[in-house]
Amino acid sequence: MATSQEILEALADYQGQCNENRRLRKMQRDWTKLLHFVAEDTGDKFTMNVVKGEIVSFESGINGTPDIIVTSSSENFCDMFWGDLNPSQKYLAGEIRVKASQEDVVRLDAITMIIWPDV
Amino acid sequence: MTELKKVIKLRTVISTSAGMAIATSCYLAGIQLATILVGELAWISILLAGFLCLLSSLCFSELTSLYPSAAGIKLYIQNAFNEKVSIIIGMFYVILGISMVGAESYLLASVLSGTFQVFSPLYDKLLWMLFFIIFVALINIRGVYITGLVQDIMTYSMISFMIGVSIYTFATHDINISLAAQSAKFTLGNIIQAAGVGVFLFVGYEWVTPLAEETTDYRLIGKGMIWAIGILTVTYSLFIAAMYVGLTPAQLAGGTPIPHIVFGTNLFGVAGTITFIVMSVLASVTSFNSGLLNTSRFSYAMGRDNVLPRFFSKLHPSYATPWVSIIFLGVLAIVVSLATLYTGKYLFIILMAAALECFIYVVAAVCVIKLRKKYPEKERAFKIPLGYTIPIIVIVVFTGLMIGIFTDVSRDYMGRVLFPNYWVAVVMGGFFLCMVLYTLIVVPIFKKKAEAKEKTRVKRRPVK
Repeated sequence: MATSQEILEALADYQGQCNENRRLRKMQRDWTKLLHFVAEDTGDKFTMNVVKGEIVSFESGINGTPDIIVTSSSENFCDMFWGDLNPSQKYLAGEIRVKASQEDVVRLDAITMIIWPDV
Repeated sequence: MTELKKVIKLRTVISTSAGMAIATSCYLAGIQLATILVGELAWISILLAGFLCLLSSLCFSELTSLYPSAAGIKLYIQNAFNEKVSIIIGMFYVILGISMVGAESYLLASVLSGTFQVFSPLYDKLLWMLFFIIFVALINIRGVYITGLVQDIMTYSMISFMIGVSIYTFATHDINISLAAQSAKFTLGNIIQAAGVGVFLFVGYEWVTPLAEETTDYRLIGKGMIWAIGILTVTYSLFIAAMYVGLTPAQLAGGTPIPHIVFGTNLFGVAGTITFIVMSVLASVTSFNSGLLNTSRFSYAMGRDNVLPRFFSKLHPSYATPWVSIIFLGVLAIVVSLATLYTGKYLFIILMAAALECFIYVVAAVCVIKLRKKYPEKERAFKIPLGYTIPIIVIVVFTGLMIGIFTDVSRDYMGRVLFPNYWVAVVMGGFFLCMVLYTLIVVPIFKKKAEAKEKTRVKRRPVK
């Protein structure tokens, strides 16, 4: 079980990796979304704000009305944000659940795929 | 639960489900159904097919309430059986499903080449087929999505149009139902056989289930499917009977692949031709687009899961769409449409799609039973009433319909034999065998490679 602090550290790294990746920024340049992440084992919740492909902020707790809600375990979130986990595989296994359009599901997965192509 | 900014309403669930089912090939399937039975009484088989599809939709509703995900089909088969079975059935479903795009493009090309001649009928068909498949592939790569509102407008316009034309036809033509009931063709066997073909009219209604992730209440998907099947049943019942009486015996005997265009021309002249062509293009393009959209996302996910080669998960650098999957499936659709053009056996693919639907409905019903036994306590937003009764009925009836399709012989309006349907079973069996061999031989190689790669990769997460 990952703590809230561990997930926030992972999110900080994820933000840096996303924002520094030019290929990803080009691909997601018209993607502006508010995301909620819900860790169902710990009850921790996080909000991430993406504006034109740039992660402008993330914080503990949920704020605003989201475009995307991702639900999984705290461990999966931590691994996903560190780039150690293939979100698609977990999604296909039902371990990551997403409430969003199909396009947003692919775009969310694209982040991991572009930053860490080997995952 | 927190609400999403944009959610899909029941209205759009219904229009998407019904819109996926309405396609140019439906008119042809409708006339084939009417030929098996008696045109004026075709509605009996359509009602029966609609009722049976409605029972199958209950199975999809329960499964969607268990796994409200775009990956639903893989998830519930995997949980009911195992991963290998889910890959075999999932890929079988997708590949045969995309072959429908090939047949649909052939029929749409027939519609257009029969009206606007540029070179010769053959080359015109070829050009239109390539144009539509490439056009839909390009808009898919470009990431153009049909919004809920556009889908609503298109589907409800098509349905209103079909119902309006049917009422007009009934008001202007003589229909003698009691005479039709005395026909030698009006038998219980033919009613059931025609209902087997009638299942084709509803093909694709269940492709609305991936929208579960965009709804506020998963039960909306189930409600939407029921409404869509009900609306389609009424619309087709009226329209196919109207189309049958609106065509002359010579036109019916001619075996045209575009009966609705001929019907439209008979009714309203050139205006009818143009209006029906527009409706046909709308119906086909929306079905193509949704078909390619769903199947390409499935292939993308399979590529990411190391079931298909990794390049299937390549995304377009500007539009974030799975362009390799889209092109691969587009090429597959072109191959099928060329085969249809060469052989002229479009009815073969229609029957194959009807049999595939029957197969998938049986799989869904088996999954409902297995998952209830395996996870009796798991929360279900919707549970089919009457215990196992409905899933068992679905299994028995659709297995029977599938066997009925395979053991029958396809004939034209004049009763001439077109082909024995066991060839449909042979081709489907061949595809299924290929999927089994692929899953048992090739997939383990991809999985092993991925595992080996995973072992050598240094984890980034700090160890605490």
